[in-house]
Amino acid sequence: MPKNFIVRKVAVLGAGVMGAQIAAHLVNANVETLLFELPAKEGDPNGNVTKALEGLKKLEPSPLASPAKLTYLQPANYGQHLELLRGCDLVIEAIAERIDWKSDLYRKVAPYLGADCIFASNTSGLSINELAQAFPEAQRHRFCGIHFFNPPRYMHLVELIPCAGTDTALLDRLEEFLVSTLGKGVVRAKDTPNFIANRIGVFSLLATLHHAPRLGLNFDTVDALTGRYLGRPKSATFRTLDVVGLDVFARVVDTMRNNLADDPWHTHFTLPDWLDKLIAEGALGQKTKRGVYQKVGNKIHVFDLGLQTYRLSEDKFDDAVKDMLRERDWAKKLDALHASARPQAQFLWAVFRDLFHYCAVHLEGIANNARDLDFAVRWGFGWDSGPFEIWQTAGWQKVVGWINEDIAAGRTMSSAPLPGWVTDATRNEVHSAQGSYSPGSNQYQARSTLPVYRRQEFPDRLPGEAMQYGETIFETEAVRMWHSGNDIAILSFKTKMHIVSSELLDDILRALDEAEENWLALIIWQTEPPFSAGANLLQLMQGVQQVGEEQSGGFFGKFKGAVQRVKYTAAGGGGLSEIVNAATGNVARVEDVIVKFQRVSQRLKYAQVPTIAAVDGLALGGGCEISIHCTRIVAVLESYIGLVETGVGLLPSGGGCKEMAQRAAAEAKGGDIFPFLRRYFQNIAMGEVSKSAEQAREMGYLRASDRIVMNHFELLHVAKQEALALVATAYRPPLIQRQIPVAGRAGIASFKASMVNMLEGDFISEHDYAIGCRVAEVMCGGDVDVGSMVDEQWLLDLERRNFLELLAMDKTQERIEYMLRHSKPLRN
Amino acid sequence: MSKQIQEAYIVAATRTPVGKAPRGMFRNTRPDDLLAHVLKSVMGQCPSLDPAAVGDVIAGCAMPEAEQGMNVARIALLLAGLPNSVPGLTVNRFCSSGLQAWLAADRIRLGEADVMIAAGTESMSMVPMTGNKIAVNPAIFTHDENIAIAYGMGLTAEKVAERWQISREAQDAFAYESHRRALQAIANNEFKNEISPYQIQSHVPDFLIREVNVHTSMAEQDEGPRADTSMEALAKLKTVFAQHGSVTAGNSSQMSDGAGAVLLVSETALKRYNLTPLGKFLGFAVAGVPPEIMGIGPKEAIPRVLRQVGLQLNDIGWIELNEAFAAQSLAVIKEVALDPAKVNPLAHCHLAAWVAQAQTEIWHGHHVYWNGHGCCRNF
Repeated sequence: MPKNFIVRKVAVLGAGVMGAQIAAHLVNANVETLLFELPAKEGDPNGNVTKALEGLKKLEPSPLASPAKLTYLQPANYGQHLELLRGCDLVIEAIAERIDWKSDLYRKVAPYLGADCIFASNTSGLSINELAQAFPEAQRHRFCGIHFFNPPRYMHLVELIPCAGTDTALLDRLEEFLVSTLGKGVVRAKDTPNFIANRIGVFSLLATLHHAPRLGLNFDTVDALTGRYLGRPKSATFRTLDVVGLDVFARVVDTMRNNLADDPWHTHFTLPDWLDKLIAEGALGQKTKRGVYQKVGNKIHVFDLGLQTYRLSEDKFDDAVKDMLRERDWAKKLDALHASARPQAQFLWAVFRDLFHYCAVHLEGIANNARDLDFAVRWGFGWDSGPFEIWQTAGWQKVVGWINEDIAAGRTMSSAPLPGWVTDATRNEVHSAQGSYSPGSNQYQARSTLPVYRRQEFPDRLPGEAMQYGETIFETEAVRMWHSGNDIAILSFKTKMHIVSSELLDDILRALDEAEENWLALIIWQTEPPFSAGANLLQLMQGVQQVGEEQSGGFFGKFKGAVQRVKYTAAGGGGLSEIVNAATGNVARVEDVIVKFQRVSQRLKYAQVPTIAAVDGLALGGGCEISIHCTRIVAVLESYIGLVETGVGLLPSGGGCKEMAQRAAAEAKGGDIFPFLRRYFQNIAMGEVSKSAEQAREMGYLRASDRIVMNHFELLHVAKQEALALVATAYRPPLIQRQIPVAGRAGIASFKASMVNMLEGDFISEHDYAIGCRVAEVMCGGDVDVGSMVDEQWLLDLERRNFLELLAMDKTQERIEYMLRHSKPLRN
Repeated sequence: MSKQIQEAYIVAATRTPVGKAPRGMFRNTRPDDLLAHVLKSVMGQCPSLDPAAVGDVIAGCAMPEAEQGMNVARIALLLAGLPNSVPGLTVNRFCSSGLQAWLAADRIRLGEADVMIAAGTESMSMVPMTGNKIAVNPAIFTHDENIAIAYGMGLTAEKVAERWQISREAQDAFAYESHRRALQAIANNEFKNEISPYQIQSHVPDFLIREVNVHTSMAEQDEGPRADTSMEALAKLKTVFAQHGSVTAGNSSQMSDGAGAVLLVSETALKRYNLTPLGKFLGFAVAGVPPEIMGIGPKEAIPRVLRQVGLQLNDIGWIELNEAFAAQSLAVIKEVALDPAKVNPLAHCHLAAWVAQAQTEIWHGHHVYWNGHGCCRNF
């Protein structure tokens, strides 16, 4: 086997919902991709694929990191292009879940597969070993299951399922490709029906379906209970079901009923009558605009079990239960739920209990160890914690006792006894420092040692695993500067949502001094996302997310929200409360903070050692300004970057306007600056936020030299390598540009002209206009002739003056106050 | 009444079909080529005429830059094969630029020329609405009364709709009727005599043979009218220029590409070259209105030109009225009390290219033409 494993080209067979989105994600990752479909009966033989590609544009959240990516996807059809398969190193089959159709296709394409091609099926439930039978024996060792989750760009999980003959070395290489190139989290699953995540996830849903009616809870109440309060997506249970599709769920349950006759819970693998009835009526969920929920006008209606029809959705949340759920410690949370006689608490305990019970009984059969099961559920369904993690955190033996009591009392869905390894009195954990428990080998299995995981200095954590972030260089209330080798210093913010406060600015200056004295480079990396938003924004986002999801009924809301909600967030940095406090009292102090912020930005830009912003998630307002001033940005694909200060009536004054004006001037290369500036002006004036790092590049926040990383667990590694590369190539900071051409007074007038139309058309308010005019003034270099040369300080002074003038305005203060009070932007 | 020493006669008129912009059939056809085509064509209609006798070619262009920049009139006449002794002049009055080419008639009426060409061309596909470079004068913002100079035309249509109380429904109905009339006219072959079909050449990379593939196709009919539109579809469209307004893409003119030309001669030339007149030029008036309601211009210009030529409104049998926005057309119809049946009987739309379309229709239809800034009449 050659040393390098290179995937030059991938073919995806089947341009359905999953196939097309997998193909889209492959091009997101710069992998050359062919998307195959049946030849169209009429017209262009690629018509079916072309149609699927059009459909990709309309999906929300977008499967494409940028619309331009679509042009890289090559359409193909089985009628004309089978020869092209010879050039593919990986073929992913994602056609309909019919074993006969799949087998036919395998027989058809097998002769065209290259000698080293890996062929993988994205089946979600069919047996991999059975599917392998359609391949000639000589090719079976290159066949396996590769199970992506919908939507594949956003869901971290891919289950890899070997068949009996799959070549292990090949599987390892495929895993490396999935992890590093596509940014996925890989779990090895056994060839059992529905594999790991769906097997557990579907059971959890069946348990909910079982207990909710028993305790008189309707679906809207269940969703209120089983969403963010349990660390699961806002879409909770039934809204997720609507997104998945009731028919799809029914099929998955069928698979379980037909193939798991020996499962002790087999009698529960059926659908309740109401669900059959909805499916028969064609109410399949979001795709048919009606499922468990439906939208009537602006209101969300829910199917009511008692009424057997729809009614206005409401959440009848028991306040006592709500208090229990607000508790973050799982031990206390489960204690309270278990002890309570309230129906909503009993319901939650019952669902957890049966889920734990099911996982315990089946772990050995479906997964290699407890880690794989927990990660599968976490990454596949967006839960913050997997079942075993919760169990372990809540107290292993205590929960074992409770489950056994309930089994004995006949309260559990099955009377199957807990396996011996579970009830073993010495057991207190399944996740430990040595690894996670594997019932098959009766050992704790360490994490995979594949070389690709060396790129993950801090992988996804489990309880029991110590997480030590290197050696401290210095630590304050706001930051920690540390290192973990290579003479590279890392600065991590400690503020909530990593907002930029006055103290934090002092600390960055100190870190820069320290880095220039003793370290090769400085990386700004957060131990968890976001890169930097605002503390008050957390609530803001939750508020907006709620509204957004009610409107969309969206269930992968967590992901959808991530891209949409950020648009509504404002002024990520700058420490809003601080500004407001100062504004009401001491303007001079605000000015000091701004001057300091500008000094930080300029020092990041001109530091004698390379500075690197490792961006993951939100980088808004001040966070964006910090990142764009660094020598390099290394950003995870899912980065949402923008200068959003106008939302609270301000403008970027930490060098953001200056930097973008300077970039526009450079791009104009001596020509007319205005068209280049216009783009950046719009970004800032409208508070636009990128929906991916790729888009941030198009918006000008990432430069050609900045990097995009697919797997966010690799972010720090890539940032370090980038730093080392800069050092190795004798890094010198850029020379300070003393002559920056600006668009001047004519530029300001041209921006005003377009804004006047928006103002008169009622698209923006008077205050929006006033803010926009000031952004224009700053970015055009003030009331000077077109083409005048200014320096950076000139632009920074304009930023500062205009910021302070805006801050002095009543309407801006109203906006800030409203934001702090209601966590929502005010349009005044 | 204006004074003149001789009459100006229209002896030939033609236009290209009108393409939609920016993705229509002329998206890759240059406006100077379109203009050259109609100049050639209009000369071809009068074979007895000595091309060297043309005193001047006056062409209107709303955005005279880039592909239609420099002196596009002169460039196109040379491309059309007219002798290089024939001069050319490009005139601009934004949307009514093509109409301003009628000053060609005045040269004849003053006795300074015997043969003139009035023409117009516009590619909205190639030159965007506000030109390639926006550079607004800062002085606009120093006096509030000047701020409307910065208003986009759509916004002015909203202002007109608001002031003259033109409802969304009325605008949509007008737009729908426009499409209906245009489709009817096409079905009845009404434009046959006025359109000079244009052979479009497209040069596209052919990836199968890895060579440039030169396609030719014939543009023969207007692209704008939509058979698939309906009141329901129009009602669904969102407003574009004002959040709570009434002007939509559906009740505004389409952006378009095209060119047109008219040949004018004095009585002397008419006899010398043995030509048959299509019509006679009577008069022309233009008026300014506040920029924020610019589309209402004909309200001032129509009475002015009627006084000038000594006619009453009901003497006029056919009125071609600018239809940049249904709101603005309806306001003019209401304000001047025009007979809707006489207004744009073959329908119109069309910002830049109506220049071409309207002019020729008038002469082929033997009727009268009004527009935002002026009018003229045949006999």
